[in-house]
Amino acid sequence: MGEGICSQEMRNHNKTGKTVAEMRGPNPIFDGEEVSQMLERLSRAVVMRDCKSVKELTERMIMEEVDFFRILNQGLIPGMLAVSERFRRGECYVPELLMSSRALNIGLHTLRPLIQEIKKDVLGRVVIGTVKFDLHDIGKNLVIILLEGNGFEIIDLGVDVSPERFVKAVEKYDAQILAMSALLTSTMGWMKSTIELLHHSRINGRVKTLVGGAPVSPIFAKNIGADGYCQEATSAPSVAKMLLGKD
Amino acid sequence: MKDYFLHKRIDHPKLLVLACAVMEQEIRRFQNGKVEFKFFDYGLHRTPENMSKVLQIEIDQVPEEEYDGIVLGYGLCSNGIVGICAHKYPMIVPRIHDCISLFLGSPESYQEQAEQHPGTYYLTPGWIEKGETPISKFNSYAQSYGEETARWVLHEEMKNYTRILLINTGGYEIEPYQKIARENAEFLGISYQELQGSSALFKSLVIGPWEKDFLIIERGHTIQQGMFLDI
Repeated sequence: MGEGICSQEMRNHNKTGKTVAEMRGPNPIFDGEEVSQMLERLSRAVVMRDCKSVKELTERMIMEEVDFFRILNQGLIPGMLAVSERFRRGECYVPELLMSSRALNIGLHTLRPLIQEIKKDVLGRVVIGTVKFDLHDIGKNLVIILLEGNGFEIIDLGVDVSPERFVKAVEKYDAQILAMSALLTSTMGWMKSTIELLHHSRINGRVKTLVGGAPVSPIFAKNIGADGYCQEATSAPSVAKMLLGKD
Repeated sequence: MKDYFLHKRIDHPKLLVLACAVMEQEIRRFQNGKVEFKFFDYGLHRTPENMSKVLQIEIDQVPEEEYDGIVLGYGLCSNGIVGICAHKYPMIVPRIHDCISLFLGSPESYQEQAEQHPGTYYLTPGWIEKGETPISKFNSYAQSYGEETARWVLHEEMKNYTRILLINTGGYEIEPYQKIARENAEFLGISYQELQGSSALFKSLVIGPWEKDFLIIERGHTIQQGMFLDI
């Protein structure tokens, strides 16, 4: 498995752009046990960074009319969560984390027609970025993939985002959530500055704040007055839904 | 805190320094016969959870009444030292986010660099020898996953970096390191700069005085993240 295969998969998929009906075919098959086995295999394929299997399994489950959220929350996300935990324990490193994120992304691309079907139910708009002076965006990009997959609309401000830019963007896009990520202990203080600026702005009270990143602890999140905290990127969708009362 | 050991009527404290291997040369310069050193693999910083476990085991194994204190040659290192507690000795810990402050001589110099050029990949002779460089990372990724994937991973990991900064703390024949650092900058297609570092903070770390840039953690007390933050 290499970058070439995955890129090719993405291109092919975008090119063919199958509709949900095309993928499902005329006679969907139902077999509960088989579906749970497929979901397990899908999780494992994400862990094993196997883009090809992720795509095939996702397509097959779409054909068999497995619920979108089941594919996502019982297949793709548990796989990514397992990888994140292994990463935290030092059992795998940045390459494995990135390659699994890519496999996850392939799965979500494959699910895209279904996402578009349910898009009328956008859960909320999220402004996201890494904090000032922090350029590490691997975690933030993973959160974006997961939030988009769960029906959130994302305004990605990129990296090194000042408190002023965060607050302006929330106001401009009328976002319900402001999400911040930091990898460095030396930059995570900017989360506090951003939340303070938000509290002094006229949009105070209209937006929930969500923080995460390797060095950020629940105590830190609480001390700076964040509304939500994610220990893992994979928990971002459930925390974001909870913040908006949509869990 | 100004002179912790003098206050305890210990003129020349006997210290055990537990430090990261990337700063071995800089630290050894201050060997004064009263200090013992033990260096640890730089790779510990990649897994903060493991770093604290490894250091805690080491600290627990130090025999009682052998030293006057333990010095940690680590910064907060992504919380890698959070939770460490020494029951037999006080600990001296630099109040810094990571070792770059030590190489640059002060937390202020590091902050200045990080704010002016947030996309800096720092290298020192110790990092090049005992740690890793973008090229060494690429080679290791390529060995596991092939060149194409390695290129993609390194790009994803490094795409926001804009310069390589080689910190020269002196005491080295610097040319070979300059060559490697330049090669890395060329490999990534980013700028290369060099900066004179300082030994001042290394000196204080090993022989004192342990003033504003250091924390004294009394025996039985635990290192916490908040001790390093100004918020």
